[in-house]
Amino acid sequence: MLRDVIFRLRSLLRRGRVEAELDDELRFHFEQQVEKHIRSGLTHAEAVRRARLFFGGMDQVKEECRDARGVQLLETLLHDVRYGLRMLRQKPTFTLVAVLTLALGVGANTAIFSIVNAVLLRSLQFPEPGRLVRIYFNNPGTGMHGVLYSVPELEDLRRSGVFEYVTGAERGSIDLTGGAEVQRLEMVTANPNYFSMLGVTPQIGRLFGPQDDTPGFAPSAVISDSLWRHKFGGDPNILGRTIRLDNDPYEIAGVLPPGFRHPGRSQSHDVEVWLASGFRAASDPEPVRSARSFPGSLGRLKRGITIQHAQARLTAMAAEIRRDFPADYPVQARWTIEIRPLQEDLVGRARPMLLVLFGAVLLIVLIVSLNIANLLLARASGRQQEMAVRSALGASRERIVTQMLTESVLLSFFGGACGIAMAFGTLQFILHFVPPSIPRLSEVNIDWAVLAFALLISLLTGLLFGLAPALHAVRSTLSSGMREGAGGSGYSVKTGQLRDSLIVSELALAVVLMIGAGLLVRTLQDLLQENPGFNPTQVVTASVNLPFPNDPKNDPYRTVAKQTTFYRELGRRLNALPGVELAGFSSNLPASVNGFSFTLGIEDRPSNSGDDLRARDILVSPDYFKVMQAPLVRGRVFTETDEDEKPRVAIVDESTARRYWPGRNSLGRRIRMGQGAWMTIVGVVKDIKQDGLDMDGVPHVYVPMYQEWDVSPGYVFRDFCIALRTPLRKSALEPEIRHQVASVDPKLPVYDVASMNELLDRSVASRRFSAQLVGAFAGVALLLAAIGIYGVLAYMVGQRSREIGLRVALGATREDILKLIFRKGAVLAGAGVAAGMILSALAASMMASVLYGVRPHDPAIFLAVPVLLLAVAVLASYLPARRATKVDPLVALREA
Amino acid sequence: MSANQRIELPQGTLDLLILQTLVLEPQHGWAISERVQQISSDVLCIQQGSLYPALHRLERRGWIKARWGVSENNRRAKYYELTKSGRRQLEAEKDAWVKLTAAMAQVLGTA
Repeated sequence: MLRDVIFRLRSLLRRGRVEAELDDELRFHFEQQVEKHIRSGLTHAEAVRRARLFFGGMDQVKEECRDARGVQLLETLLHDVRYGLRMLRQKPTFTLVAVLTLALGVGANTAIFSIVNAVLLRSLQFPEPGRLVRIYFNNPGTGMHGVLYSVPELEDLRRSGVFEYVTGAERGSIDLTGGAEVQRLEMVTANPNYFSMLGVTPQIGRLFGPQDDTPGFAPSAVISDSLWRHKFGGDPNILGRTIRLDNDPYEIAGVLPPGFRHPGRSQSHDVEVWLASGFRAASDPEPVRSARSFPGSLGRLKRGITIQHAQARLTAMAAEIRRDFPADYPVQARWTIEIRPLQEDLVGRARPMLLVLFGAVLLIVLIVSLNIANLLLARASGRQQEMAVRSALGASRERIVTQMLTESVLLSFFGGACGIAMAFGTLQFILHFVPPSIPRLSEVNIDWAVLAFALLISLLTGLLFGLAPALHAVRSTLSSGMREGAGGSGYSVKTGQLRDSLIVSELALAVVLMIGAGLLVRTLQDLLQENPGFNPTQVVTASVNLPFPNDPKNDPYRTVAKQTTFYRELGRRLNALPGVELAGFSSNLPASVNGFSFTLGIEDRPSNSGDDLRARDILVSPDYFKVMQAPLVRGRVFTETDEDEKPRVAIVDESTARRYWPGRNSLGRRIRMGQGAWMTIVGVVKDIKQDGLDMDGVPHVYVPMYQEWDVSPGYVFRDFCIALRTPLRKSALEPEIRHQVASVDPKLPVYDVASMNELLDRSVASRRFSAQLVGAFAGVALLLAAIGIYGVLAYMVGQRSREIGLRVALGATREDILKLIFRKGAVLAGAGVAAGMILSALAASMMASVLYGVRPHDPAIFLAVPVLLLAVAVLASYLPARRATKVDPLVALREA
Repeated sequence: MSANQRIELPQGTLDLLILQTLVLEPQHGWAISERVQQISSDVLCIQQGSLYPALHRLERRGWIKARWGVSENNRRAKYYELTKSGRRQLEAEKDAWVKLTAAMAQVLGTA
């Protein structure tokens, strides 16, 4: 097979040489024959004559030899390609328009597919990624998913027999001091087997191993490639160097390879530093079951164990544990263990939106190719005569079809090449607009799979839009083609039908895209008009990290009293800033990174009701609600006297109050979070969109920042945010904020300075992105649809000018002619819209998961889109219709 | 020797004849046709019109390969020689031919 191809290729590529050899070979034979005849006594002239006679047609022999060498097929193709290129060059405008629209379609597909490929399709970049799982502990009885766990519970997992490795891994952030400026780094604290579980090897040095297995933190750190390069200049002698993280010294043990990333939902930045921990204090060697304070754990299943098998084993084990330790597991919580494939867990939330985008780009490339099919068909009708002549000269139908397909595939090839080049050139630019909340974005690139997909898309579109004119060419028979060509008038009925069905499909797809875009835009609009529960304008925010060293001697913020002093001092300084009306603090700003939720305990309420008792608690300073202008519904806000050693108080939001004390006064009731102390409710505020504009979220409980936070033993809040009510811009305030924080403690990093509106905006970034992208595609689709209708009608007017002239001559009025053309446009548009509505009804149901507030079959949108499209269709019909009325019957009839 | 003493080559035998002719040594096209004619006592005659396409086809299949050499009368000529797979092919075709002729002879009652 391969030899055959090489042989053919040699015959083709070295055609000159092969031809010369063939000549030589045959001439040699001829001369031998002549010599033989001369030897037998003939004259030279007679010998040549006989030899020639015997030899037959030299050219025919050569042709047969070429055939035998298998050159013909390739040569025909080459010929077709050359001819196709000539045709494309002859119509530069058409070619340009077709190539550009195709490039747009293929480029958009390539770019979106490269994201889909990296995020959804490609396996995680670890060995045997299918065995990696995230482990969740759930209390389905109280509606709690992903609760904290304790060290003995982690040990249970290790004993379960389904895991090769189980590791606790906790995301956090940490201050790197020692440089000119304090740097806040994303960090992971994990058991020493974390890297073995993932199956990664270091770039230099070593990763964590059994030697790091200590109760508290091991004194070693592993750093990312990017931190090594950017902070330490890629110093090869970095190993063993001591760095200070949250005031504690760590020795750098190793550097990870460049491609390595912690497999977590990507937050603002990638993880830069890894610490090893045994997750228990040295002073507390035997932690108890109920000391649950760890958030995340990962596992690698043993080879040969399926997810289902492992899940069944874990569910059974959870039941045994509940039975064996009834004191630690309240019956109503129904504590259990759940595993999910790590990849699915990482990208699950991004999937619906990416699939919607992917569907949109597929639609757009379909629309583009239908549009080009229409253009090509118009051209094919013009070339009917050419085809007829060619077939009269002996070209078979197959040859003509091949010729037509070659032309369109050439077109799609150019379009595809431009599209891929476009995607290559703009991918980084596009990624800039993709919201960072989508995981694995850093892995997006154009690899072989993406290239193969782009080529496939180009080829398929080429075949798709080439098929119509090719079919047309086959149908137009020799005789009719010649006749029609001679007449130069006929609007072939069959071509007309084909073109009509193409334009109707194009309109239908445009409707689907427009309705999809409409739903996404409505969702976004609704969200932006959503009342966040406070006044976000003129609020500037910043984040600060208090260090949390392991060594209490290095910890200036050990107690809540010490923290309170710090907050009061920082608040005094910020309030003194010119232009700042009021300063407040909070552990979690609205629409920012989520904290943890805990089971809400309510005094005098039986807790075995099986309700969803989740609540999230947020620490706030006394002035916080005033800064945010969050309306107080009842009671009071916190005061400076709600501090340590004073009665514990809390403020709940309206939905919490309504949920648990419907129609009754919630003030004065006592609640607690998890195992924390009981707190008395002193106020009720309006609901605040704490988890982002598009999340209704769980109920929220606000607690004073100046009182002990004891929900989870050993866990202390150290991250906090500043909120300033000010007419100033954030850029004007940023240096002032940095300066004031540094003047209280120069070791604190200030990061993420942003206006409150920006934060709210960020929470809908992915919705904004998809709405804008699909909206832009819908606009393009509408434009193409208009061009399509215009093209069909203009062509029809041109082809039927004789008939129109005749009608006018027979007394048709201008209105009659206008009606004729408009009716055609309206029928096409109507059919397209009707088909599109049916398709949209199906497609919209699949979009339900990415909508918010809008129903998938929102009547307003299902009404507005058809009206818009029909209006555009009328506009697009106007020009051809007017031209039809200008047809001069005399000219039209004479020309005919 | 008149033309009616010769017989047309049955379909598919040309390849066999060419391969067989090349068993002993490489030959150029003219020599192949001369040799077939000679050995068959002038009964078989290969038309140039079919000889060369056949040679190129056999070359493409990899049963023979070509190289340029010098002929007995010091002219540049294209010589063909059997390849390994050509030899195998020849054996197979010979076998089939023998079976075919034997069977034909039986059926025609000439055996």
